[in-house]
Amino acid sequence: MSGLSSGFGVWNPIAWALLFVGILVVSFIVRSFGNKGYKRGTGQTKVFLSGNDEPETSNGLHVRGDHLYWGMIDGLSAYYRRVKAWHTGILSDYAAWFVGVLGLVFVILVLAR
Amino acid sequence: MALPRSFKRALWVFHVATGSCNGCDIEIVAALTPRYDVERFGIMLTGTPRHADVLLITGPVTKPMLPRLKRIYEQTPDPKAVVVVGGCGSTSGVFYESYNVVGPIDEVIPVDVYVPGCPSRPEAIIDGVVKAVAKLETLEKSRGGE
Repeated sequence: MSGLSSGFGVWNPIAWALLFVGILVVSFIVRSFGNKGYKRGTGQTKVFLSGNDEPETSNGLHVRGDHLYWGMIDGLSAYYRRVKAWHTGILSDYAAWFVGVLGLVFVILVLAR
Repeated sequence: MALPRSFKRALWVFHVATGSCNGCDIEIVAALTPRYDVERFGIMLTGTPRHADVLLITGPVTKPMLPRLKRIYEQTPDPKAVVVVGGCGSTSGVFYESYNVVGPIDEVIPVDVYVPGCPSRPEAIIDGVVKAVAKLETLEKSRGGE
């Protein structure tokens, strides 16, 4: 079985495919040990939250990707408030920014000569 | 005493306090201590009813706990057994017809074993769980025969 050797490691797609299939087989075997008596659509398949009902996602349960950066965004909130205000979503505003910054760079380049 | 066949595998127990004074809860904890050590029989407290074989319930059902108890019972996979620990869970005890109590456990969900006492002694709680094991065995056999 040939593969790509970089000097730091070996890459062989067939070996990875075999490993992937092996993991799948082991996963299905482990899954088959599970309780087959679970009733779908009942509380038995719902999340246990200390007996409380599962809240709707609109009530803040949904964890978004940007929550990972909460500390940074909160720490730089003064900066982000200003920057977010500039992001109007209107294309002509962005075009104006582009032309403005391009003109500024042009002036700096001319002055630097 | 010959141990029931279900003891050959671990029996997972979920503890619910529906309004107890914590007297029975402390006795459940005592059953886990080295003096009684129920884990040597494979009886283990679990953190979620979804993994439990037995529900161990203490206290009368207070109004805020009513929907939660129903939900926990529904979330426990079948076959399951319900063990009520203490006089309050069995009859409402001193909280009988209290303004904030719905009633004893068996007015809300079906109960298999009642463990008397105020609070119940750890030996009685262990005996109750053993009786629940016998109930589970019966249910397992009836399921197998279907």
